[in-house]
Amino acid sequence: MSVINITDLEKIYRTEEVETVALNKISFEIKEGEFVAIMGPSGCGKSTLLNILGLLDDLDGGSFKFNDVEVSGFNERKRADMRKHNIGFVFQSFNLIDELTVFENVELPLIYTGIATAERKKMVDEVLDKIQIAHRRNHYPQQLSGGQQQRVAVARAVVNKPKLILADEPTGNLDSRNGNDVMQLLTDLNEQGTTIIMVTHSEHDSRYTHRVINMLDGQIVTQNIKV
Amino acid sequence: MFKNYLKIALRNLWKNKIFSAINIIGLSLGKAVCIIIILFVQYEKNFDSIHTKNIYRLDEVQSWEGMVEPQDVALSMPPMGPSLKNDFPQVKNYTRFFPLEMTGLAYNDKKVFLKTVLCTDPTFFELFDFKLLKGDKKTVLTQPNSVVLTEESAIKLFGTEDPMGKSLSSHNRMDTLHFTVTGIMENVPENSHLQFNGLYNLNSIFKHGQDKEWGSNYMVTYLELSKDANAKLLESRFPAFLQKYMGKDITKGYKLFLQPLNKIHSTSANITHDYYNYKKFDETYTNIFFVIALIVLVIACVNFINLSTARAARRSKEVGIKKAIGVSRHQLVFQFLGESVFLSFIAMALAIILVNVFLPFANNLSSYHLTFFFFGNPILLLLLVSGTILVGVISGLYPAFYLSSFKSVKVLKGITSKGKNKSFGRNALIIGQFASATFLIIATIFVVQQLSFIRKKDTGFNKDHVLIISGAYKNYQKLKNALEESPLIKGVTGSSQRLGNNFHQGGVNFKGSGSVKNCASSFVFIDNDFISLYQMKIVAGKDFTEQGNGKEYMVNESLAKELLKDEPKKSYESLIGKRFWENEEDTLSTLVGVVKDFNFNSLHNKIETLCLVNNKKNGFHDVSVKIDGTKTKEAIEFIGTTYKTIIPNFPFEYQFLDEHFEQLYEADKKVSKVVTTLAMIAIIIACLGLLGLASYSAENRVKEIGIRKVLGASVSNIVSLLSKDFLKLVLLANIISWPIAWYVLNAWLQNYAYRIDMSGWVFVLAGLTSLLIAIIAISSQTFKAAIINPVKNLRTE
Repeated sequence: MSVINITDLEKIYRTEEVETVALNKISFEIKEGEFVAIMGPSGCGKSTLLNILGLLDDLDGGSFKFNDVEVSGFNERKRADMRKHNIGFVFQSFNLIDELTVFENVELPLIYTGIATAERKKMVDEVLDKIQIAHRRNHYPQQLSGGQQQRVAVARAVVNKPKLILADEPTGNLDSRNGNDVMQLLTDLNEQGTTIIMVTHSEHDSRYTHRVINMLDGQIVTQNIKV
Repeated sequence: MFKNYLKIALRNLWKNKIFSAINIIGLSLGKAVCIIIILFVQYEKNFDSIHTKNIYRLDEVQSWEGMVEPQDVALSMPPMGPSLKNDFPQVKNYTRFFPLEMTGLAYNDKKVFLKTVLCTDPTFFELFDFKLLKGDKKTVLTQPNSVVLTEESAIKLFGTEDPMGKSLSSHNRMDTLHFTVTGIMENVPENSHLQFNGLYNLNSIFKHGQDKEWGSNYMVTYLELSKDANAKLLESRFPAFLQKYMGKDITKGYKLFLQPLNKIHSTSANITHDYYNYKKFDETYTNIFFVIALIVLVIACVNFINLSTARAARRSKEVGIKKAIGVSRHQLVFQFLGESVFLSFIAMALAIILVNVFLPFANNLSSYHLTFFFFGNPILLLLLVSGTILVGVISGLYPAFYLSSFKSVKVLKGITSKGKNKSFGRNALIIGQFASATFLIIATIFVVQQLSFIRKKDTGFNKDHVLIISGAYKNYQKLKNALEESPLIKGVTGSSQRLGNNFHQGGVNFKGSGSVKNCASSFVFIDNDFISLYQMKIVAGKDFTEQGNGKEYMVNESLAKELLKDEPKKSYESLIGKRFWENEEDTLSTLVGVVKDFNFNSLHNKIETLCLVNNKKNGFHDVSVKIDGTKTKEAIEFIGTTYKTIIPNFPFEYQFLDEHFEQLYEADKKVSKVVTTLAMIAIIIACLGLLGLASYSAENRVKEIGIRKVLGASVSNIVSLLSKDFLKLVLLANIISWPIAWYVLNAWLQNYAYRIDMSGWVFVLAGLTSLLIAIIAISSQTFKAAIINPVKNLRTE
């Protein structure tokens, strides 16, 4: 079963004078349980692609099926709903809310899916245990190291048990040791069945994945499937 | 979810202490101002609200030939009430009164003085809903010599004894009468325009035939109209009514009009001889106060809007993450609105504390007894809760939509637009704030100037160290002689009315070289040394003499001009020695002098034509005593003891004439105090907002400041760079507010017959003041940013 199936996907940025084709008729499919890296030089369109896959951005042409549902015509409300139940995000700059503690940051997605307090506490504790940061549950993001912050961000992305995790250079702001920890965490999650798409610059990180999609100037150059 | 919202809201408030403090302080100040003004408006609007019948007061307009301006007068003639009821079916009922001042009541050995007793028709309690505690409202005043006392008066005179059916004797300055107590009523409520201590049956006081006298207007008449009656239609039939009873010519200078009972308190500013209108206050000012209070609140709301959007970038990450998680925009809007409503409630809690702290001060300022007890005031409670939510929603709406509009893709990448066009709305709001604040500064300056102008203006007589004692009448000469013996007393004189009042009007006749000239004029009876004691100027002829008592007249310049209207070339001198009289022609009475115009009335009014009569046949109501200004205390003591030996039956009461004049401007003073206070609060709140914005602008440009300093910019360069934009806005605000202020204040000044010129420097001064305050607020923040070591700034970015 495919989680993502896109055909001839287009994204064009227009200013008054210039029209820039960010994504030029891209097609690919990602199956459930895959761990895919998207690579390419700056400006090749990989982040744009990730935003569209994450239903954060519109597409200008082509077809996009998420879980076999055509989502290209979805309005913001429907997209938000789809995101809420199916997708978790991990960002390069962690993007934790400074005013909330570790526990509260991880709890946030559960609040908006309407899960009861007791159940939420159980789910958050469970995931915090898993990423071994439970002892920091009442700390604020500023009190954590970068690696710890990113692990909290991953915890937040997975607490809702989404089908798909989208990671945008998750190790970009981390040193190699912390980076490896985060990559190991993602690999574990993938082994437990979560589909992961990761944008990265790092050859090292891409080795953790099953497949690498190489992009250049808004087009897919190669799709290597590793054995 | 609410818990999460609340947590984020509280932590944000705590983290951004300046922002929170500015918003909460500003909003609570604005709300406290609004609450106090609402209390005041409620108090004003509730005047005479206890009465349920469709009642009107019958007033008149006099515009006789010879009068400088037409006058609205709160009086009417004795037969008008009965005749109106008789002639018009829509007039269901009427009641009239005339007052007795300082009436002594005696029961056995006990004697008390009642300040005001109204002599009224038996229908008094049928029209008015004043509550009778004892007695039947239909019959309580029907018996001759019946009296109704207020509870307070009854306790004063009878103590614990039951007063009903008891006889008492009543003596005022003129005569003694005997009454029987037939009713006790609740004390007159504070919010009644009529204030009195007791009621007499009118017919016991009326002399035979007085009830039928058309022509003299000394009664106050109230009419009850049927529920469906059209007051305007009724008014239109008054001229014919007047002509029927008083002849064709009456309508040339005389009109009647109706004033609804619930408007008597608030629409009588221009009505004279309106002595029984407690604390009358024009509703225009009440409305103006309300509008200004709203402006203050809006200025506070604008702070919230501006600061929230200015620091939107701080919240953008939260918005981005929440959107990525799948939170919909309306949930975010709801969250941010919730935050501002929450903040609004915090501000309201603080405002309630502020009101409790400052209400005594406000009461003191306005001489009102406003109380703040919202559980007993459901309307206020409702207003407070709905107002709090409304303020929260209004100030939160724009920030909520603005914040929730962030694209998560952009903000999560750290791109927040800082484009200049984004701050356009914010700039417009700052201009609005400062335009309002500057307007209020200008208004304050002019109002204060005008009021000090009328207080200091030369009225044409000297009122320094003059004491007025009321009610001497036949004891006048005895009192005068006794007082004049002391060196503490510089002079004693008498008059039928005191200066600073609108004198009564009547007809005067003059026989010059042509036929008899008849015109209307104010007139006052005075002792022959009145003019000299008050140091008034005689421009033609000579002063009154002792021998001239009853025969000599003087006119003021306005009346002299009126008399010379047909012969404008002739001088005032030509009037001297000519025959002059009021009621009955008397071959001996002559015009002896022309006195320079002086302001015997408030400076709201122009100087009317005036005739002064040298006549002390009945003594005088008001005794003017000029005392040694260096020995005030001894002089008052001396007057008091002298008074008590000569007039032992009445309490000694006095008033300084300049205090009496101050009272004329009571309402004006109230207005000026309130406007000044509100203006100050408005400017404080506006500056708080500017302070906050300047602080955020400095923070946002911290990197730019660092780079500029590395490149050699001085602290003053940086301060001016950061301040310039704000000061431009304040300047623009000034330019907008000036013409509006000019227009509004020019209109306000038209209320005064004597007014200041609106000089341009006031506008410049107000502009400079707002600019200076703004500079202080802004530079306190920009200076802080400018002196930071640039290395630190650049490293943190």
